[in-house]
Amino acid sequence: MTSPRSVDDRLPLHPVEFRILLALHDGATFGTRLVERIEAAEPAMTLYPANLYRRIRDLLDGGLIEEAPAPADADPRRRYVRLTGLGRAVARAEARRLAGLVAEAARHRLLTEG
Amino acid sequence: MNARFGDDMEALLRHRLEKAGTSGPRRAGVWLRAIADVLVQAIALRFDERAERRRRVDERGETMMTFRSLLQDIRYAVRGVRATPGLAALAVLTLGLGIGASTATFSIVHGVLLEKLPYEDPDRLVVVWPEVNANQTMVALAEEQMASLEAVAGTSGWSLTLTGVGEPRELDGLRVSPAYFDVLGARPLLGRTFAEGEDLPGAAGVVVLSHDFWVNAFGGDPDVLDRLIDLSGADYDRRRVIGIMPPGVEDPFQEVDVWIPLEGDPALGLEADETWFVNTRIARIAPGATIERANAEVRVYAGRVQAAIPNVISREEAEAATVRGIREYRTRDVRASIWVALGTVGLVLLIGCFNVANLLLARGDRRRRDYAVRVALGAGRARMTRMLLIEAALLGVSGGVLGIAAAFGLVRLIVAQAPDTLPGIASVSVSPTVLGFAVTATLLSTIIAGLVPALRAGRVRATATLGGGGRGAARGDGNRLAPLLVGVQIALAVVVTIGSGLMLRSLTSLLAVDPGVDGENVMAFRPVPPGGRYPDGPAFREYYRQVTRRVAALPFVGSVGGIHLLPGTLNNWSFPTFPEDFEIREGEPVPSVNFRAVRGDYFETVGMPLRAGRPLTDADGENAEPVVVVNERFVSTYWPDANPIGKTLSIFSRDGTRYRVVGVSADVRQHRRDMDPLPEMYLSHEQVPWNQMSMWIVARVRPGAAEPSTRAGAIRDAVWTVDPQVPITEMAHLADILVETTRGTRFLTILLSAFGALALVLCAVGVFGVTAYTSGRRRAEFGVRLALGSSRSSILRSAVSRSLVPVAAGLAVGLLAAGLGSDVLESALYGVTASDPATFVAVTIVLGLTAVAASVIPAWRATRIDPARVLASE
Repeated sequence: MTSPRSVDDRLPLHPVEFRILLALHDGATFGTRLVERIEAAEPAMTLYPANLYRRIRDLLDGGLIEEAPAPADADPRRRYVRLTGLGRAVARAEARRLAGLVAEAARHRLLTEG
Repeated sequence: MNARFGDDMEALLRHRLEKAGTSGPRRAGVWLRAIADVLVQAIALRFDERAERRRRVDERGETMMTFRSLLQDIRYAVRGVRATPGLAALAVLTLGLGIGASTATFSIVHGVLLEKLPYEDPDRLVVVWPEVNANQTMVALAEEQMASLEAVAGTSGWSLTLTGVGEPRELDGLRVSPAYFDVLGARPLLGRTFAEGEDLPGAAGVVVLSHDFWVNAFGGDPDVLDRLIDLSGADYDRRRVIGIMPPGVEDPFQEVDVWIPLEGDPALGLEADETWFVNTRIARIAPGATIERANAEVRVYAGRVQAAIPNVISREEAEAATVRGIREYRTRDVRASIWVALGTVGLVLLIGCFNVANLLLARGDRRRRDYAVRVALGAGRARMTRMLLIEAALLGVSGGVLGIAAAFGLVRLIVAQAPDTLPGIASVSVSPTVLGFAVTATLLSTIIAGLVPALRAGRVRATATLGGGGRGAARGDGNRLAPLLVGVQIALAVVVTIGSGLMLRSLTSLLAVDPGVDGENVMAFRPVPPGGRYPDGPAFREYYRQVTRRVAALPFVGSVGGIHLLPGTLNNWSFPTFPEDFEIREGEPVPSVNFRAVRGDYFETVGMPLRAGRPLTDADGENAEPVVVVNERFVSTYWPDANPIGKTLSIFSRDGTRYRVVGVSADVRQHRRDMDPLPEMYLSHEQVPWNQMSMWIVARVRPGAAEPSTRAGAIRDAVWTVDPQVPITEMAHLADILVETTRGTRFLTILLSAFGALALVLCAVGVFGVTAYTSGRRRAEFGVRLALGSSRSSILRSAVSRSLVPVAAGLAVGLLAAGLGSDVLESALYGVTASDPATFVAVTIVLGLTAVAASVIPAWRATRIDPARVLASE
């Protein structure tokens, strides 16, 4: 069970980091594939190598993701990453936080047309 | 990042370029954006690192904040201490004395009882059947029959005089079996130890030197190996130096300058072996064996020996045979006393801690307002407690430093004053272990003295103290602990002072015991002809005859005599003796009687009265009838119903020379005043069976007949007119020698008395302080009473009696505790029981009076108030 304190400490997540965690919910993958998943969900987020891998490194250092064993037929140069339990908990917490923000925005009628 | 993800980054860039297709501008755009991405991320990473560093600095800052507050508290504590220098000095002095005294006492405990003996595997060293004397054969049999012992060695003390090397000197010699050094696990520094055969009669004389003796006598010269040196004991002999031991090798029971082989013929067998001077047998427990097994085996062995020689060893002695650890055995007489001393000084330290606690509590009360302000300003309870603890620690540490410094001096004093016979006294020092004890004592003292005052400070409530109005509220609910602490102190002091009181009475009883000889105005000295100077018996004895005559001719000398072993020394000779008509029952040992050789007017010179008959004189010469003087104890033991004059006895064998009893002397306490005298016999030096027995000469000086400083010189000159080549190895006042026998008791008495005095002083200070405090708090009450017409004397009585309530309670509890616990001192006492009523009463009176005196002064001061002024200010 992840302690509530360590999860809350990580919020708010950087949008790119949150995107990476969301994308990894579909399973472990490597850099280019990850970017494709992110761009499929949010086409405006164009990630270049330095940015992406800095975020990946930060998430690795923070324990939200971890390196994963590559499938047998994979290119040995590709380094796979996957979510950790903490990463899942933090993603959930961030989603709840954002949902709370959205609900607040709705109360202020920021989401109505026009 | 490149190292880990370089391939992936390259792959992503290719992916982007593939998505850009073949369009040049779009591909150029990808490259530009990739480069910009790298630049931006590089800058971002730099900011990240700085943020990280700042975070770490903030953390450090927080640590700095905690550290700063600690420094503040320390500064506050120092200010507090400096604001009340008198109190601080008293507290530091009190703790310092207590810690110093207890550290010094622990150094004795450590050096004598705890320090590892300087031998290989010392826990496996034992003494075998120490309750009896043995002969050589018994030693060999022990090794043969006791499988639990790896090696057994016999030892026998032997005085020797070294001549021909600088000043002639008396040596502490030890005769030992060949296995001795193996038992101790000691190897020589130079040369070798004894080999098989060197202990046989007729073997060439050899000797092993101790390291200290080698350095003192021969300057540490290795060329002394193989040299012949002159050592004359009872018979002249020259011995070859075959080995030198390294420093630190010593016998467990005595100081040794030289070791020589214990001579004996192994072929003799148990009954015929007459070497009955093997006083001690040491052994090493074999690997895998235990002391318990050795104890089981020794009783079997002792039983066999007793069955073979029932005329020497009794059945009781055989049944009582034990094997004991060497450390435990050699400290058996002093262990209880030393632990009592440590316990006592611990109580004194506790009394001191309570004194300091009371001082801090009283001061805490005076500073309540100050504490309340701090609490109001945000200092939490924990912080307040911490501040006071730091203050207590400052005092405690200062006391500890003072105590450790004092301990060094005290230890030196103790070592100088302690009896030489205290085993391990040489290892008493302020060692790292002892310092560790001092640090622990300091820590515990600080906690005991400082914790309660510190906790009380933490409980101060700002509003109640500051806003309550009036000094009464500001003073809080008062310090109820102070009287309780005083009561406890008094109780502890009762225990301590009863201990010292009992020891004082014991010492008085001991000193009152008549040793049987009068050493006042008696000079004792020992001329020892060097080996070979008077090789035959008659010439040797003629020398002493001449010396006695010359000394007797001195104008200030009243009478002169000689004896081969002075009273008051530890040496003793005793021999199997066959008194006429005394039936030695089957299975019982032959009586062993103390023996002394005397000459001249010995009995008259040392003030030994004759109870019957006549003393030995010079007329009892070599060719005269063999005669003997026995003591009263001899008569009451062997001839209780007969007139001893005219009876005979023989020594060593029933058929030996029979000596006729011509006189009965009074009993003498030869060794210790608290030991009953034993049967003794005195033979004339002219008639003893040995050729070369060196003698002590004793000369009674007429009081006032000569200056003390000139006596020694005149005696020496008189001795040297007979033969200037004969050295006088020792000269002393007999009275001083006799007093040495009480040194052990005196030492313990002085120690415990010092603790008792310290306890008394500390209690007086404590009572004084608490009375001043409680009387101060009652100023308003006193003011009102005075204004209403009470007399000052009734106020005084009230103040004193209030402070004496805890004293009375403390006395009662202390007397009860002492009554229950004083048995621990029983073994050290003489002539007084541990529950001696006189001592208990005396201590009660002394402590009670001290407490009253200590309370009167502050109480009286409290009555000197001006009631009008007091009432106005309250």
